Amino acid sequence: MLRAIGLTKTFGAQTALDRLDLDIRPGEIYCLLGANGAGKTTTINLFLNFIAPSAGEVQIDGIDVTRDPVATKQHVAYIPEQVMLYGVLSGLENLDYFSSLALGKRLPRERLLQLMDEVSLDAGAAHKRVSAYSKGMRQKIWIAVALAKQAKAYLLDEPTSGLDPQAASEFSSLLKRASEGGVAVLTTTHDLFHAKQTATRIGIMKKGRLVESLDSAQIGQTDLQALYLQHMRD
Amino acid sequence: MIALIARKDLLERGRDGRLYWAGSVVLVLLFIALAVGYGRQSEVRAEQKAAQALDYKDWLSQDQRHPHDAAHQGMHAFKPEAALAIVDPGITPYIGGTLWLQAHRQSEVKFRPAQDATGLQRFGDLSVGWIMQVLGPLLVIVLGFNAFAAERENGILRQTLSLGVSPLQLLWGKALALAASLAALLTPAALAAAVVVTLGADAGEGLDALQRFAALALGYALYLAIFIFLALGVSAASSTSRVALTVLLALWIGNAVIAPRVMSELSRHWHPSPTKLEFSKALSAGLKSEADRAWQMAFGTTERWGRDVPLNKWGYALQLDDQTGYAVYDRLYGQLWDTYERQQALQAWSGLVLPVLAVRAFSMGMAGTDFVHHRDFTTAAETHRRTIQDIMSRDLVANADPLGNQHFAYQAGPELWSQVKPFDYHPPAAIWALRRSLMSLSILGGSLLLTLAFAYAAVVRQRAL
Repeated sequence: MLRAIGLTKTFGAQTALDRLDLDIRPGEIYCLLGANGAGKTTTINLFLNFIAPSAGEVQIDGIDVTRDPVATKQHVAYIPEQVMLYGVLSGLENLDYFSSLALGKRLPRERLLQLMDEVSLDAGAAHKRVSAYSKGMRQKIWIAVALAKQAKAYLLDEPTSGLDPQAASEFSSLLKRASEGGVAVLTTTHDLFHAKQTATRIGIMKKGRLVESLDSAQIGQTDLQALYLQHMRD
Repeated sequence: MIALIARKDLLERGRDGRLYWAGSVVLVLLFIALAVGYGRQSEVRAEQKAAQALDYKDWLSQDQRHPHDAAHQGMHAFKPEAALAIVDPGITPYIGGTLWLQAHRQSEVKFRPAQDATGLQRFGDLSVGWIMQVLGPLLVIVLGFNAFAAERENGILRQTLSLGVSPLQLLWGKALALAASLAALLTPAALAAAVVVTLGADAGEGLDALQRFAALALGYALYLAIFIFLALGVSAASSTSRVALTVLLALWIGNAVIAPRVMSELSRHWHPSPTKLEFSKALSAGLKSEADRAWQMAFGTTERWGRDVPLNKWGYALQLDDQTGYAVYDRLYGQLWDTYERQQALQAWSGLVLPVLAVRAFSMGMAGTDFVHHRDFTTAAETHRRTIQDIMSRDLVANADPLGNQHFAYQAGPELWSQVKPFDYHPPAAIWALRRSLMSLSILGGSLLLTLAFAYAAVVRQRAL
């Protein structure tokens, strides 16, 4: 579903991403770990066609994102670290607007409320202006947009950064539920615990290169931490 | 998609208070301007009608007198205030509306190029036209300056683009929202203005006034559309909302405050018009030259009203004197007025980049308060003056000249005075005004295309990063 083939991105003389190969299948949650500047966000931006690759190819559902960015965006939902919404609108109105943009048509109010419910936002929250929302609540709205869109792939950039443990846990549950429904997920994080709890596969990036790719089920939390620290020290 | 974006923008703008606060101020001012204008116009029009009737009554009630004395008394032509002067008084406050139709001389108009006097000093006038020309763009700027910049700053633009929305869809959606906001605010004022204009029009001229008003509304819609795309383009091209607001306010000041003054001076520089003294000298010289030629041919002398003209030819001499002057007046006033119109055309053309100048010309044109309408009135008044002179002179030729030495003893009465019909001027029809204003309307259209191209260029460069 999400494929990177020899994906490279350079900014002037600096190589931000170096020949990345990835293949994330439906139902997989692939978590990219790495320090700041490792190339995680660059990878997400390349999948979204926000920047053009210097070499290599990015595919979503078999479609080259640089050739048909509009078509690929129909299959993918992007959830940034800081989800921004219109503060003077309610959660329901924000969901209504963004899901309309994603689908090209408005959903019935009942369906919107159902989506809010699916992301654990009750009716009280739905009608509250999002200026009063916490970061976690704003992210739930965006997950609801992704659900409304019935996206085949999620791209998440540091989604649990700044979330309290309960909100992070809820968020992980939502992701797992989505992947169980066949969604391919590519997420970036600094949070090893979150990666281990959520991901089916884990990649460790360093200076633009994927230096490790692991099956999450076959490595323990402590071993993962040791391996990560070892790569960071090298 | 575009409608969805517009709907959200409208909802957001309604909630954040800008639409209500900024819009209410403009709306209140528009209604005040309409109310004050209606009151003033009703008074002025009643006075004009009464004065015109009284003046004609004075003409008819002259005692028995020499027709040339009557010609010297003459009449007055009171310019009827256009129904749409309530919307845009144009140059009316600067040129006056009364002409003395006297013997021998075409009444002087004030030679100040009054249509240029729409710069700083016009800030003193509160009219619907001024509000739309000056405050209208400011309202658009207040509502639209951060349309793109704020969403880029806070990251919403990045999320929106990730949904597959194209920047151009955002442009059209946001433009539609701004247009709908303005329409919601201005439509009640426009409807009220249409009612007031129709009520204020003379009997039988209501439809014409409405047609003019419809064209005027189209012109202002184009003008505000220019600022909608300018605001969106600048917002898209600016790094932050603050920069966008600063740039737009600078453009607004340039357009509304500086441009009219500067272009007024430039147009006078490019198409210089004579001073009052220069014009008077040229007129006197032209009249003398033409009269000398005519008198030489008719009486063998250039000395006018001397002993070489026998008294039994004085009626003819008066007629000749008047009629030889007509061509001189036509030529010199024509040149002067053509110069004014060239100045106005130059200012209107600069409306391509300074749209206030184009909309000002169009607004005055459709309101019937521009120089072209004034020229039409002045021409009609001069035609009436010549009719009076010709009737009086013809009567002198027929009845006084045969009396020879008793020429000045001749007296005419009411039957002669009544041969002169009252001055009854009706402004040209709306279609005439529209034809004359097509250039400024086209310039507004051109300016809209330019700002649209700018907004397009600025928006298609929008990137999520």
